[in-house]
Amino acid sequence: MGYIFVKPGMSPKEIVQKVRELPGVCLVSVGMRDAGQSDYKNRLRMYDLKTLAPYYNEMGLFAAECHGGARWHVGIMNRRESPFEEIEILRELMPNVLLQTLIRETNMWGYRPYPKNIIEYVVERVDIDVWRCFSFLNDVRNMRTVAEVVMKRGKLFEPAISYTVAPWFDTKYYLKVVDEIIDLCGGTDEIILCIKDMAGVGTVTSVTELIDAIKQKYPELVINYHRHITDGLAMPVLLAAAKAGAKILDVEEDTLVRFYGHPPILAVEALLKEHGIPVNLNRQAAEKAVEKVREWIRDYEWSESPFKGFDHMVTRHKMPGGAFPSSFEQAEKGGFLHYMPYILQVMSLYNQIVKYFDVTPGSQITWVTCSGIVNRYAKEGGEEGVKHVIKLLKKFVEEKNQNFDAMEPEEQEELLQLFRHAPGDFKNLILGHYGRLPVGWPDEWVYKSTFGDEWEEKIKERKEDSPLESIPDEDLSALRKQLEDELGRPATEEEFILYLMHPKDAIDYIRFREKYGDAPLVLPTKVWREGLKKPGDKVEFEYEGKPYCIELVSIGSETDGFIHVVLRVNNKTRVFEVRTPRAKKEEVKKATKPNEIGAPISGTVWRIGNPKRGTLKVGDIVHKGEEIANLESMKMENPIVAPFDAQIVEICVKLNQRVEEGQLLFVLQPIEDAKMKEPEVEIESMPH
Amino acid sequence: MKKIKKVLIANRGVPAVRIMNTCRDKRIKTVAIYSTPDRLAYHVFLADEAVHIGEAPPQESYLNMEKIIKTALEKGCDAIHPGWGFLAENPDFAEMVEEAGLIWVGPPAKVIRLMGDKIKSKKIAQRANVPTIPALLKVNTVEDILKWMEEEEVEFPIMIKAAAGGGGKGMVRVDNEESLPLLLEKAKSEAKKAFGDDRVFVEKYIQKGRHIEVQICGDKYGKIVHLYERECTIQRRNQKILEEAPSPSINDDLRQEICFTAVRLMREIGYYSAGTVEFLFDPQTKKFYFLEVNTRLQVEHGITELVTGLDIVSLMFDIAEGTPIPFSQEDIFPNRHAIEVRINAEDPKTFNPSFGTITRLEIPQGPGIRVSSGVYEGAEVPPYYDSLIMLVMAAGADRNEAIRVMDRALSRGLRVEGIKTTAPLLLSIIRHPKFIEGNYSTRFIDEHYQELLAMFKEKTPDDEVLKIAQYIAEISALGPQSWM
Repeated sequence: MGYIFVKPGMSPKEIVQKVRELPGVCLVSVGMRDAGQSDYKNRLRMYDLKTLAPYYNEMGLFAAECHGGARWHVGIMNRRESPFEEIEILRELMPNVLLQTLIRETNMWGYRPYPKNIIEYVVERVDIDVWRCFSFLNDVRNMRTVAEVVMKRGKLFEPAISYTVAPWFDTKYYLKVVDEIIDLCGGTDEIILCIKDMAGVGTVTSVTELIDAIKQKYPELVINYHRHITDGLAMPVLLAAAKAGAKILDVEEDTLVRFYGHPPILAVEALLKEHGIPVNLNRQAAEKAVEKVREWIRDYEWSESPFKGFDHMVTRHKMPGGAFPSSFEQAEKGGFLHYMPYILQVMSLYNQIVKYFDVTPGSQITWVTCSGIVNRYAKEGGEEGVKHVIKLLKKFVEEKNQNFDAMEPEEQEELLQLFRHAPGDFKNLILGHYGRLPVGWPDEWVYKSTFGDEWEEKIKERKEDSPLESIPDEDLSALRKQLEDELGRPATEEEFILYLMHPKDAIDYIRFREKYGDAPLVLPTKVWREGLKKPGDKVEFEYEGKPYCIELVSIGSETDGFIHVVLRVNNKTRVFEVRTPRAKKEEVKKATKPNEIGAPISGTVWRIGNPKRGTLKVGDIVHKGEEIANLESMKMENPIVAPFDAQIVEICVKLNQRVEEGQLLFVLQPIEDAKMKEPEVEIESMPH
Repeated sequence: MKKIKKVLIANRGVPAVRIMNTCRDKRIKTVAIYSTPDRLAYHVFLADEAVHIGEAPPQESYLNMEKIIKTALEKGCDAIHPGWGFLAENPDFAEMVEEAGLIWVGPPAKVIRLMGDKIKSKKIAQRANVPTIPALLKVNTVEDILKWMEEEEVEFPIMIKAAAGGGGKGMVRVDNEESLPLLLEKAKSEAKKAFGDDRVFVEKYIQKGRHIEVQICGDKYGKIVHLYERECTIQRRNQKILEEAPSPSINDDLRQEICFTAVRLMREIGYYSAGTVEFLFDPQTKKFYFLEVNTRLQVEHGITELVTGLDIVSLMFDIAEGTPIPFSQEDIFPNRHAIEVRINAEDPKTFNPSFGTITRLEIPQGPGIRVSSGVYEGAEVPPYYDSLIMLVMAAGADRNEAIRVMDRALSRGLRVEGIKTTAPLLLSIIRHPKFIEGNYSTRFIDEHYQELLAMFKEKTPDDEVLKIAQYIAEISALGPQSWM
């Protein structure tokens, strides 16, 4: 047990002191969270990950990152595992290990800023030891509530600076962010600072310089360097970070390493040792964990990214490792995977126009905005159209140095349309709803491009406050009642927290588990994904201390949308009825007439009405340009606005209903003689 | 004396199967009748012969008197046993059976008729010095009722009952004067609709009353014995769902008194065959009042069989054949405690019927358990009839032991898949501290409904594993899903 130097239950001060006292560096394994997020779309299941826990328990890690980020959302949505179950399982199997989450300040584990009372409520109730918290805007003000609750609970707060390499984000800039953090946390004794290089673009020089500068100003501050490997240069930079004084480095099991994740644990240990830096790692246990991964990692080949290989161009487009797989997935689903290289090019230009950090939710905003631009040009002009807009942006950014007036009039016209169809969250971003942008607001033409004639008004509305100040508290008991009404029974505390983060997906998840029980926890990944293939195939597992065996006898042929599957469950033959998608198909009504409002994209109707006037009902009068509903699609908001002054005749969808493109949402009756008001685009977007 | 060698059982489900079991013991051949949806029902399999009697609606099948009698004659039966429900308390049918030269396995038709009129039966009870609930038997107007209440110093709530009702049907409780006119009209029109007779009478409402009934057997020679009492207080919507014997609410003195009162009444009306006298017991005053006579075999007769060791159905056949009862009152020693629960195909929370196929059926077994089932694994529960699918009985040396046996039967033995049953509710009831104390009234379920629901055990590992199996079935059939 000589390697175990920190344990759950220690005070933050004690933990920080233990790290300071270590002769060399220690490691965080992100094998249970960010590794899976970066290369396997967050699909690595607790069933497999927990096989590493006994080794982690002996390895002498600083912490295991096993929670938070998008693992939360993908867990309930795709793996059908709850983050609470995961914590419970890991606590039992690796009691020596600090469990670490990644939380996005006010956006927590969702994608929108939450009010203070929700943040407090949730952070108080999640059993995590190390709270790594980042702001995609490096707006330290946004971290305050999380910091306060975590520190009050006696847990370790690990504020992160979002890090990238760009001329305008220099060491001076980052030092200022660190100052703000130290100020927020009242010193350096009870926190660990994380440098979150989420795209993996830090160089030996830049990282050495930054850590040096921080250490000079705050010699006692413990620094954790987190870096993705996409550029292919991670190892030397990690070594440089350790030499410069980083005490904690993020790694993952060698066998998990692909292209968008983190450096391999055994290799890092070997490299540092060779350079005389001691590493607190029980190498034997780590080797076993590395081997263990081989037993199941091939079951996840389907979830790996279609584009394999390192990509030094990441230093330009800066898409974070964690965002790659989901972007590929969405591009694939949307049928525009072949435009990926163009989208990345647009991103590398876009991020010079609107400057922030490409990490959730920023990375989604970048992604949806840039893929939207590419798709729109592709629709109008095919690949040539896409090349055209890239040429235009290149000229504007690279040749003309973003001098709008230096562009030709028709090019100016085109730029002024560039953001006209940008998603609601992009609008929210430049209006300050997430907080201040790190190096100032974008140029005026961006507002003109986004809002048209209203741009000046919109700039006036722009918020300088942290969302923590401006978002009103929500009525938790009312929200709880909503959930319980939906479920038709009392909700557990954990179900309620899932619901607070992702209302619709939480309900889907709860329903799934009501129907299929603990299937996500007990089934091996092959069976989970593919079922049993041929008669005689069986799966054996223990459930509540008793052995079970499920064996396939036969799968019938489809009749009237049903397939009968015969299984032997503990030797008893049973027939299961399976509805096929054909049976489920219900006719979807499409919007066809001018007075019928259809969904512009596939998504989820997460709001009907708008925050100003609340929900809408049949008979209500709506005005041209007024938001009448909002769709969430690919984690982004998409307001639906009334095209003319009208009375609502029919609302054809329910709250939280999933709709497909073109599906009928509203039937409106135009009001002929209504006074035409100025079209008003309602974009105030606060979570419901 | 005509021997019964072959009997037609004019019933289905649990009662038909129960009677056939005794017939097999007595080597009496059985003829089942069935409606179209019952073609593959359990009672059809169990009988020696089975005859299709008509379509699903009871009027065309199990209530089709002419056709039933014709079938019995064609099949060479000597007798008809009506079971319970359907035609069991129809005096016209009993007469028709006897007129056709068949033996009616039940009491005399005229007794059935007399006891079927709740006003007349009450009058007879009064004549026989059997205590009855203060009542106004002739009711025309609201004023009649109010006047009677004033004279007799009766206070609200009161009960309005249909003269032709019984068995918990055709009863309306009135809580105050304001609602009286409307409820009187309602009671009358409902009585008209249900029984074709809008005569009603009014009774004082006994608060916290308990249902206690006495099992009687009489032969055709005037010998009447009682087989002690049963407690049937646990009811939902005035229908019994749990019975026990002996009653935990009375002592031996009261027991003797109530049993002999029942014998006295049955002797007065010239009863033979098996029958039951029902009383309402007021635990505050320790008084009991006559309610009605059930002129038939009762659902809950099995617990009396368990405590006395007798076969009541067998006795009914013997009596019908004209055999004298071969024992006397002193020979009967109840020496156990027995509980019965009614497993109905119903949602245990809402009591809405739950019909469909019983995809899996595991029947409780082990010491002290008796099961009387009307279904089998794979059987259909059709929507046309009574929702009773099974009686589960448990016996032990005392009440606590019987409760423990019943707990085992319901929590470890019984498993019904494919339809919902009342089993979870019944398990909650027998685990409820008030029930275990023996402290309950007819309103027990209403009073403790939320607690009982909260006691439903939501998860069992077996159920949970079936959910996992359902998942495997779906993915095996459909392959990887897009949501994954």
